[in-house]
Amino acid sequence: MLGYLTARQAGLDDPLRLRRAESTRRVQSLKLNPDRDVDRIHGNGINTIDIEAIEGRYMLSGGADGVVVIYDLENYSGKQQYTCKAVCSIGRSNRHVHKFSVETVQWYPYDTGMFVSSSFDKTMKVWDTETLKPAEVFEFEGNVYNHHLSPIARKHSLIAVGTKNPKIQLCDLKSGSRIHILQGHRAEVLSVRWSPRYEHILASASADSKVKVWDVRRASGSLFTLDQHNGDKSKASSEAVNTAHNGRVNGLCFSGDGLHLLTTGTDDRMRLWNSATGENTLVNYGKVCNESRKRLQFTVSRGCSPEFVFVPCGSSVAVYALHTGELVTMLRGHYNNVDCCEFHPDYQELYSGGKDCNILAWVPVLRAPDVEEEPDSTKKSAAGQPSVNPAFEDAWSSDED
Amino acid sequence: MTLFPRKLFNDSLPLIVLKHQLYSVHHDKTLVDKELNKLREQGELLMFQLGFDTEAFGLIFASDYKTKVLAGEEGRETRATVERFLEKVVSSCTDLSFSKDKMLRQFLFTDTEITQLVKSGVLTVRDAGSWWLSIPNSGKFTKYFIQGRKAVLGMVKKSKYSEVLKAELEERRTNVQVKFPMKYLIHDIVGAELVESIPTTSGPLLRFVDS
Repeated sequence: MLGYLTARQAGLDDPLRLRRAESTRRVQSLKLNPDRDVDRIHGNGINTIDIEAIEGRYMLSGGADGVVVIYDLENYSGKQQYTCKAVCSIGRSNRHVHKFSVETVQWYPYDTGMFVSSSFDKTMKVWDTETLKPAEVFEFEGNVYNHHLSPIARKHSLIAVGTKNPKIQLCDLKSGSRIHILQGHRAEVLSVRWSPRYEHILASASADSKVKVWDVRRASGSLFTLDQHNGDKSKASSEAVNTAHNGRVNGLCFSGDGLHLLTTGTDDRMRLWNSATGENTLVNYGKVCNESRKRLQFTVSRGCSPEFVFVPCGSSVAVYALHTGELVTMLRGHYNNVDCCEFHPDYQELYSGGKDCNILAWVPVLRAPDVEEEPDSTKKSAAGQPSVNPAFEDAWSSDED
Repeated sequence: MTLFPRKLFNDSLPLIVLKHQLYSVHHDKTLVDKELNKLREQGELLMFQLGFDTEAFGLIFASDYKTKVLAGEEGRETRATVERFLEKVVSSCTDLSFSKDKMLRQFLFTDTEITQLVKSGVLTVRDAGSWWLSIPNSGKFTKYFIQGRKAVLGMVKKSKYSEVLKAELEERRTNVQVKFPMKYLIHDIVGAELVESIPTTSGPLLRFVDS
């Protein structure tokens, strides 16, 4: 650590290197922290969580009872023991609450004034955070499994919606219209994701074992379908040709730079694909237990090298190295199945929610403090020292030692 | 790695290893996959779909395969066809299965010749108009293999807490019906992730995975 700091100071190393090395070290030491808690509001399982991209301060969670809760993740109390409080919630008493379970929630990518939630009551609602009233309601014919807003879109404000219907609907946020449909799948669409690299590229995963990549500007069908055997027709039985998995595909996640796409399926496999060519990179993660009938929300770390994938696996979260496929660790702590997990890139923390109605925060374990204290060390110094100069006091870090 | 397959089939079968057994020996699965693909491209290794599991692939050295198949064909009328098949098809392409199109056009085999190949066991029907590459007389192998796998898994399941130390399991003798050596079957269940291998101070522990 000191070596990296001196190298950066002297200009020998790129400043990004220190950041990446430290992020990687922190991710590798993720553990359940007894001091960090998230308020327990949900009475039923938690299906989905989303952390806003702008500040990383507010987290949305959607539960199986239709309740949507917003939490404040920042610790301004100055104390080490901290419970992330729920700022507000759309509970059962709210007039506009969803009737059945909320499957996906997502913040509007540009500010926290708006968020979108979709649920099994066949609607998707766009909420105003201030008043907690829906500004727009989209109705569909089947249960809505997943929706996604592009995090980088400038030229369009489309929400891709995957429902029980094999057609993917694109709803326009600006005009409220939904005339654009993407046809191609043969069974329900379990997951949709926009690419974080190109604002017009969309990937969709369906229960017919196929994953298709679309360019929404094209009038004709999908760009390509992911094939697990890379076109080698001889490897599979003839029905399994051109499929991404040997079962339902229920999880999709792009890597942070958008160059790779990860998919998980009910055949207990996770595959890594090159998102530009659709080629299976054949990284073997082994058996990734997957019994979910709905979408599985998993996430990839950002800013580390090598990147890590956090996949909910039964009642624990498995951490794999992205490109080599080795299992780094299993994070155990939930009492029941884990349904979703989300990575906080600024603090390298992982939040996971599951059927036991808990959201657990996995926080990197800090290094033990140095024996001798320097009077003005701000990073990772032993806190609680009244002699520390208040100008150097760490007022923004939420886990001090 | 071909230390284990036993020659108890009266030497009529070449030495077969399953791909996931190699995962149990080396820990980096991606590396194993890459190396296997390299060997297959070079034509030294052949991969087969064994049929009882979509992911179970059997591996045989190409030279072994050829000698055994030809030895099995001694004195039969189908010998010439099989020889031709081995030379043309097996040496040149690394596919696991062949469709009717390919056989007729690319390799110029007639229908009767294809029937002969199926009869001799080199091709197995996959569905109407396509065939898997296969090992003649491998039915016995598959039968004993599945039996052996069930027996070893049963042993692990029946133990207290459904877990056994690997060293202790190797010591236990299989009953007469199970023809494979213990080590072969242990590599199979570990590689296929039917049991979880947990490192302990007295060696690896195998715990049955409930799925």
